[in-house]
Amino acid sequence: MIDLIPSLPSTTAALDAESTRLQIISQNIANANTTHNVDGRPYQRQQVVFESVLQHAQGKDGSSTTLAVPQVSRIEKDTRPGTAAYQPGHPDADANGMVQFPNVNIYEEMADMIVASRTYDANVAAFKNGRSIAMQALSIGKHG
Amino acid sequence: MNTLSSIQALGAGLPTPLANKAEPQASTVSIPAAELRELNATTSAGSCGGASETSFSNLLGNLVEGVNAKQAAASQALAGLQSGQNVPLHQTMIAVEEANLSFQLMVEVRNRLLESYQELMRMQV
Amino acid sequence: MIDALFNDPGYLGAKRMLDATVARHEAIASNIANAETPHYQRLDLAPSFRQELERAVASKDPAQLRSLHTRIAVDPRAVSANRDGNTVNLEHELVEMSRNTLENAVQTQIVSASLAKLRMAITGKS
Repeated sequence: MIDLIPSLPSTTAALDAESTRLQIISQNIANANTTHNVDGRPYQRQQVVFESVLQHAQGKDGSSTTLAVPQVSRIEKDTRPGTAAYQPGHPDADANGMVQFPNVNIYEEMADMIVASRTYDANVAAFKNGRSIAMQALSIGKHG
Repeated sequence: MNTLSSIQALGAGLPTPLANKAEPQASTVSIPAAELRELNATTSAGSCGGASETSFSNLLGNLVEGVNAKQAAASQALAGLQSGQNVPLHQTMIAVEEANLSFQLMVEVRNRLLESYQELMRMQV
Repeated sequence: MIDALFNDPGYLGAKRMLDATVARHEAIASNIANAETPHYQRLDLAPSFRQELERAVASKDPAQLRSLHTRIAVDPRAVSANRDGNTVNLEHELVEMSRNTLENAVQTQIVSASLAKLRMAITGKS
């Protein structure tokens, strides 16, 4: 395929990765109060881990650039323990009336979500700038 | 190509009093036109006797070679762009435009030469 | 003779600057894409290349301008704000990207104007 917009692979990979991260954050927030999962235990918070894969691109004039393409290497479960609250009337209360809640901190998730959105927007801006550069190049020979 | 062969034919057949014209160094295009006007003037004023036809065809030969080189560079850039090698888009556009301009220069040179030649032939009756 | 047509130092300088802005956009986009990647070092035009470019443009020497080659390198002056060694500052990258895109537009205009001038000189029409 013709590669018209500079550095498109890194930008699209980053958009994918941030999009995944936002999904995981939404999932965490949605399950903040899920005390009873399919495996019987409370929901365990998940987080994404980024890594960058090096790709070599060979230029026609002999120059070679190494692109660092980001991607989600894995989605791991947060092993920190959740909070327990005393709610004896709760269906999932144990013998002492304590209910284990998921280890999801809403404020942490909101902060993460803001960072992820900002990074996502920044990558969209990078794509738009790349496209405008390509459009400028197309206008070089135009006359009349 | 019709244009190329007509230019080369003109270079070979036209008697020219131009002796060893140096290559124009300026970056504008008015110099080749001035040279041609000069050629026209000295030819119609009467030939100074068979001086180097070769320098003139050398000039034309260089022109044709230059245009060929530009066209080749443009084709290469386009091929590189389409085959997905990392040829930047702007370099391709610039190469194509330079090739177009070079070719148009050659066409204009051919037209002027033909006009001068025809005028010359009209005069020699 | 054809090469002499395109030897104007202003035109050659604009072409090299154009190359530089396109390469720089790739570097900045890569920085933005890797803003969250641990240990990533930000990229930019190599400082040595910047100096070469300035010297070549000031010298107005066509041979020097033709031989220039854009180089991207790890930015030696970038410092890391996080624990994980990532040296990307998102606001800084966004500002630099806007400036670079504008610079690209300017250099494209210069190149187009030079070509239009040549076209007018050769064909008499625009």
